[in-house]
Amino acid sequence: MRHTAFSTYPKRGFWILATILLLMAAPAAADETCQSPFLPKITGQEDYVYVWTLGIEGVADGNDSLVTVDVNPTSKRYGQIIHRTPVPGRHEAHHAGFTDDRRHLWAGGLDDSHIFIFDVASNPARPKLVKTITSFVKDTGGLVGPHTFYALPGRMLITALSNATDSSGRTGLAEYSNEGRFIRTIWMPKEAPYGYDVRVNINLNRMLTSTFTGKNNYMRPLGELVKDTEAMKAFGDTVVVWDFHARKPLQVLQVPGAPLELRWALQPNHYYAFTSTALAHQLTLIYQQGDGTWAAKSIADLGDTLPVDISIAPDDSKLYVASFMDGRLRVYDISDPFKPKLIEQVKVGESANMVSESWDGARLYVTNSLLSKWDKPGDYWLKAYAWENGKLVHKFTTDFNSVGRAHLMNFGSKALRAKPE
Amino acid sequence: MRQFVLVGAWVAAAFLALNIDPAAAHPIPELEETYTQGVFSPNFIPPAAGTYDLPVIARAQPVVLLDATGRRINTASLMDGKVAIVSFIYTACSDRLGCPLAGIALRELQAQLRREGLQDQAVLLSISLDVEHDTPKQLAKYGRVFGAEPSLWHLLTAPSQQVLKAALESYGQDRARVYDEDGRFTGRYRHVLKVFLVDQVGQVRNIYSTGSLVPQVIVNDIKTVLADKTADRSLSNR
Repeated sequence: MRHTAFSTYPKRGFWILATILLLMAAPAAADETCQSPFLPKITGQEDYVYVWTLGIEGVADGNDSLVTVDVNPTSKRYGQIIHRTPVPGRHEAHHAGFTDDRRHLWAGGLDDSHIFIFDVASNPARPKLVKTITSFVKDTGGLVGPHTFYALPGRMLITALSNATDSSGRTGLAEYSNEGRFIRTIWMPKEAPYGYDVRVNINLNRMLTSTFTGKNNYMRPLGELVKDTEAMKAFGDTVVVWDFHARKPLQVLQVPGAPLELRWALQPNHYYAFTSTALAHQLTLIYQQGDGTWAAKSIADLGDTLPVDISIAPDDSKLYVASFMDGRLRVYDISDPFKPKLIEQVKVGESANMVSESWDGARLYVTNSLLSKWDKPGDYWLKAYAWENGKLVHKFTTDFNSVGRAHLMNFGSKALRAKPE
Repeated sequence: MRQFVLVGAWVAAAFLALNIDPAAAHPIPELEETYTQGVFSPNFIPPAAGTYDLPVIARAQPVVLLDATGRRINTASLMDGKVAIVSFIYTACSDRLGCPLAGIALRELQAQLRREGLQDQAVLLSISLDVEHDTPKQLAKYGRVFGAEPSLWHLLTAPSQQVLKAALESYGQDRARVYDEDGRFTGRYRHVLKVFLVDQVGQVRNIYSTGSLVPQVIVNDIKTVLADKTADRSLSNR
C-alpha cells in the first residue's frame, strides 16, 4: 500500500478524513483543504502538483497546458516540471477541479469558455487530454467563463463569471455529468447576479457562492480598467447562501468589494466560512447565527494589497492569504474566527496569487499569475514552502518561464493510478 | 436532529452486523463515535418532496445479472415502472463508511419505504463490484445480515467481468483493484461509494455518496420523482 491515507481510506469523505487525521495526529498532506466533501483526499505526501498554465505567445508552443511538477521530496526530480500536456490554443486558462472519483480533472478557459477534461488516473504523472467541451455557452443558455469546478457525486458543478448577451457579471452555475453531458443551468438570483466561487457544506445542506466581475472587465487590461470609474463599479458585492439539495437561494449577504474564494471551516460544529474581498481588501467571516440564518462580518483589513486567494488549515487554526500587489503570503491565527491575528508573513515574490495547502497543513505551494491581461510582465513560477520549527521555510522554486504562466494547482498521487484490468 | 441519530445508528449497526474487527480497519475504535457526533452528520431538515427539481443526469442501461438465488435477471424487469435505488457494493469491503454504511442506510431506507407505503413504487438494487468473490450464495448471506426483503431489495452479481464492466461504465461507477507492494491483488477495490436514484423510465435523477446518503432525503427524492409528470421525457428531446 502507498503511504497515503487515500489508499487506506479510499472512499471516505472530507470530514471523515479530517477526523481520522486529528485523532491519529498522523502526518498527512494540496489545496486539499478546500476540495469538495464528495472528493477523496490525498492525506499523505502528494507526489505531483498539476498546474493549469496559461500559454504565452512565443513561449514553447504558446498553448495553455496542464503542467505536472514533481513535489515528492524523495524523488530525484523534486521541484522539477516532469510533464506538460498542452491543449490546442490559448483560452485564458484559470481554474480546474477533479471529478468525485478523482479520475478526471476538468480545466476551464475564461475567454472562449472551453472546458478540457484530462485523464489523471491512467498515469498520474502524465495527464492525458481525453475530451473537450466547446459547447458550454450554448449548453447553458448563455453562461460564459467557467470558473470553479466542484465535484458532486457523478457530476460537476461549475460556476461561471459572465454571460453571452452583454458580457457583464450576470451569470449562474451549470451542472454536467462526469461524462460531460449537460444537466442544467441555475442562474444567480436577480438581486445578486454575479458569480465566482462555490463551496458546499453537506452537514448543513448549505452552499455558498461568491462574486467577481464579467468578461468585459476580466479580459480588459488592468491599467485601463482601474481608470474606468463606471467599469470599476461592475464588481460583485454579495455572497449567496443556498439550500444545496434544492439548489435554491435562501439569503443574499452584502459583502462589498468582490468576495472571491470561499473556504468552509472543517471541524465539527464550526458552522462558518471565510472569504476575502479583492477590491475592499477585507477578510470576511460568513457565519450561522443562533436562529439558523447567516451573516457576514468583516474581521480584518488586509491592506490595499489585492488579496486573491485564501487557504484554511485542516484544524481551522490558520488562514493563509496571498496578495497580488505586494507578493506576500500572510498567515492569520483564526482560533477565534471573529478575531484573526496576523502571526506570520513571507515575501513570496512578485504577483503572488494562488496558494494551495497540503491536507496536513504542513506544505504550501504558491503560483503567480492572475489573468493574462492583469499580470505584470515578469517571472512566472511555482514556489513551495513548508512549516519547519514554527516558521514557513522556502523549499524550492520551479521556473515556469519556459512553459507559461502558472495559475491553479491541484494535487496528484501515484496511489491514484487505476491499472487496466 | 433525527438524521443525526440515524447516521449514528447505521454505523453502530454496521459494526455489529458485519463483525468486523475495528483494529483491522482503524487503529482508533473511538473514531466512529466522533464521526457520528458531528463530523459527517447531516444536521438539517431536507427540503420537502416536490419543492425542487431533479433533472436527468444520465440514462442507465439495462443489464442481465444473477440474483441471490442464482437466477438470471434483467435489471429492466426489476426496475420498470418503479423508482430504483441502485448501489454498487461488495461484501468483502472493510471500509465501514463505504459499503457497510450503504448497507445500513439501505436497510433504513427499506424500512422507511414500507412505513410510507412506497414499497410497490420503489425497488432497491445492490450490484456487487466483486464478480469473483460475490457468488449468489454470498449475496444471500449478505442480504440476510442486512435484512433485505427479497421482494424489495435485490442483491445482484454479474455473470462475468465483461458484464460488470459494462454496468460500471453505464453508471459511471469507478472501481480499481488495490495491489500490495509486491504487485499482488489484495482482494480489495478502491471505489467511491455511489448510490443512484433511477426513475421509472431508466433515467438517473440523483446520485448519493458517503455523507449524503440520508434515507429521508432519498425518500423525498423518490416522492419528487414519482410526482414529476415530466418523468418520461427522454434525454434526446430535452
